[in-house]
Amino acid sequence: MKLALPRLGNIEVINNTILTDMGHELVEAPPNSKRTMDLGVKYSPEYCCLPLKIALGNMIEAIDLGAEGLIMAGGWGPCRFGYYAQVQRDVLLDLGYNFRMLIFELPRKEGIRTLWKNINILRNGKSWLYMVKQLRFAWQQILLTEELENKVLQVRPREKKKGAASRILLKSIREIKQAKDINTLEQIRKETMEKFAEATNPHMQNLIRVALVGEFYVSLEPFVNHHLEEKLGYLGVEVVRKNSIEAWIAPIMKLHIFKESFKEEKDIEQAAYQYLAHSVGGEGQTSVGNVVLAHQEGLDGAIQVVPFTCMPEIVAETILKKVSEDLDFPTLTLTYDEQTGEEGLNTRIEAFIDLLKMRRKRVNVS
Amino acid sequence: MQKKKIGIPYALYFYEYYPLWKEFLTRLGAEVILSQPTNKKILDLGIRSALSEVCLPVKIFYGHVLSLSEQVDYILIPRMVCIERGAFFCPKMIGLPDMVRSSLQNLPTQLTPIIDVRQSYGTWKNSLMEVGKLITDNSSEISRAFSDSWKIFQQNYLANILEPNLLFKSSIQNNIPKKPRKDIEIPVNIAVLGHNYLTNDSYVNMDLINKLKKMNVNVLTPEIVHPAIIKKQLKKLYKPIFWSLSRKVVGAAFYYFEKKVDGIIHLTSFECGEDSMVGELIHHQSQKYPDVSYTEFVFDEHSGEAGINTRIEAFLDMIRRKKRYEIGLTPSW
Ligand code: SF4
Ligand code: SF4
Repeated sequence: MKLALPRLGNIEVINNTILTDMGHELVEAPPNSKRTMDLGVKYSPEYCCLPLKIALGNMIEAIDLGAEGLIMAGGWGPCRFGYYAQVQRDVLLDLGYNFRMLIFELPRKEGIRTLWKNINILRNGKSWLYMVKQLRFAWQQILLTEELENKVLQVRPREKKKGAASRILLKSIREIKQAKDINTLEQIRKETMEKFAEATNPHMQNLIRVALVGEFYVSLEPFVNHHLEEKLGYLGVEVVRKNSIEAWIAPIMKLHIFKESFKEEKDIEQAAYQYLAHSVGGEGQTSVGNVVLAHQEGLDGAIQVVPFTCMPEIVAETILKKVSEDLDFPTLTLTYDEQTGEEGLNTRIEAFIDLLKMRRKRVNVS
Repeated sequence: MQKKKIGIPYALYFYEYYPLWKEFLTRLGAEVILSQPTNKKILDLGIRSALSEVCLPVKIFYGHVLSLSEQVDYILIPRMVCIERGAFFCPKMIGLPDMVRSSLQNLPTQLTPIIDVRQSYGTWKNSLMEVGKLITDNSSEISRAFSDSWKIFQQNYLANILEPNLLFKSSIQNNIPKKPRKDIEIPVNIAVLGHNYLTNDSYVNMDLINKLKKMNVNVLTPEIVHPAIIKKQLKKLYKPIFWSLSRKVVGAAFYYFEKKVDGIIHLTSFECGEDSMVGELIHHQSQKYPDVSYTEFVFDEHSGEAGINTRIEAFLDMIRRKKRYEIGLTPSW
């Protein structure tokens, strides 16, 4: 079956490992573009959140390129994400498309059979051993990708030549995608780090540091957040990214090897507790906890990204007003929908960074 | 000893659970003060103190809390998480106590019991007992008050539900008179669906239900549909819905479609995440029932009465035109 995955940041690095190498024909959804957004917006229910719309755009573009099966994650609330795949399926069927939706989620009741079937479709007659090996390698690819993405956040504001950091990253991502074994990954890691070191101006110290929190998809998908990390980097700001695919998948798998990120999760919950004592789905509580932690870590401020009408993040936004006041810690909330314009966004971001710089000066003087 | 005054905001989930709390707290000797039905002042208070991104029903909840704050010793704001397996309340209701205390200052002490039946601390009984302890030390009295109020609550709840067949015999099949003289006299059956804090708050929905009734409409709601029917209807879905409140709305919608009522009006809140998905499911279903007219009214703080009136009239017009045709009246245009 020709299979496709929706896009999310650089998650495409695993496409070969979990699809092509398993003997499937891979259809790559084109990178997110205005066309993706327009298609998604046109056919999605009007009041749905932005990530659903974009993912629907990916699906339409992928089916148009010949995809027969769409892989999607699921869930069971309380936020909308768990119902995405169903609504998308309905919409695509209404449009007259012929396809199969392969939903991967923790099963309930009859769901276990569907999950089993989907896993077997993915396995495609290969041995279990081989499949596990591929999944493990995909995990390693994700870990390395995120490690480099985090590193680039430090390099970018310090780079000697504008754009160098992003270029290095882009090249390495391509290599990770083609890699077939751990040794190659290790090699890529080493070389990239060297290149990063070379591109960095070591005299740039004491930069403004900002935590990036908020809804998972919008925070990790540059097209949707209007390249927020790059924008900040070029303003001389070091971004500390608080969401990661690693932390998102780890609790779902509940596997021993991910113990570390469990501990982190506990710490975040603990930090949020005083302000938001209960999980509200999505990243709601995580956003609050991460802002409290960012303050403790001595960062200058935090930016929260919110898809318009996102339920968990609106809870968090409400509460962050109070957190920010109590801790005297500046937070900026950026709300995204299909109409978000570049200019308004830039003005707000620049004003926020100016504010952080002024606060630094004040502290230095006193 | 002075009676403890406990305030209950007349908003959100209290449209469902007020009778239970009122019964329980009163039995224990507390004085329960319910806020006024929503009015302009309450709405304005809420809008002023909440972020604009927050949905209208939560803003209204804020308004009710503020309107009570000077009159009571405590305000009851339960954290509603889960009342049945496999379903939740919406994120905003789960986070409601935290949202309220982040946004509103100088409030009386808030009582925020957690209702989460998956946990032993969160069962209805334990949760209410926790609150009861504030009022009296006598735990057997609390326990008795709980079981009595619970029983009454359940009985009243069931009393509202019409027997499914009765419902349609009495109100639907028999209500088309042989020869209505004027168009306006053709009775129609319209189901008004939505979260009950929208359908039952006549200030917010601009008195929609009464307006319909005055126009000779037999109004049907989700509350009168038996839970067993709802459960059965939900089986039509490809994937179960995991929001308790919306389950009722969708189940009732599917039922009314099947019963071929004349029209369905779905009331939704603009910023509501549940409604955005559920609206799509109902809309999708409506395409299978071309005989049933379907429309959605979206509410936010900017909704105007004139706009709603026009839409009601247009909707009824369309339905009556269809009916006139069906019962063989000559068209009047
Ligand atoms: S977290 Fe927010 S944006 Fe993401 S699916 Fe849930 S409601 Fe939508
Ligand atoms: S269900 Fe919708 S309307 Fe109700 S509180 Fe949640 S978001 Fe608001």
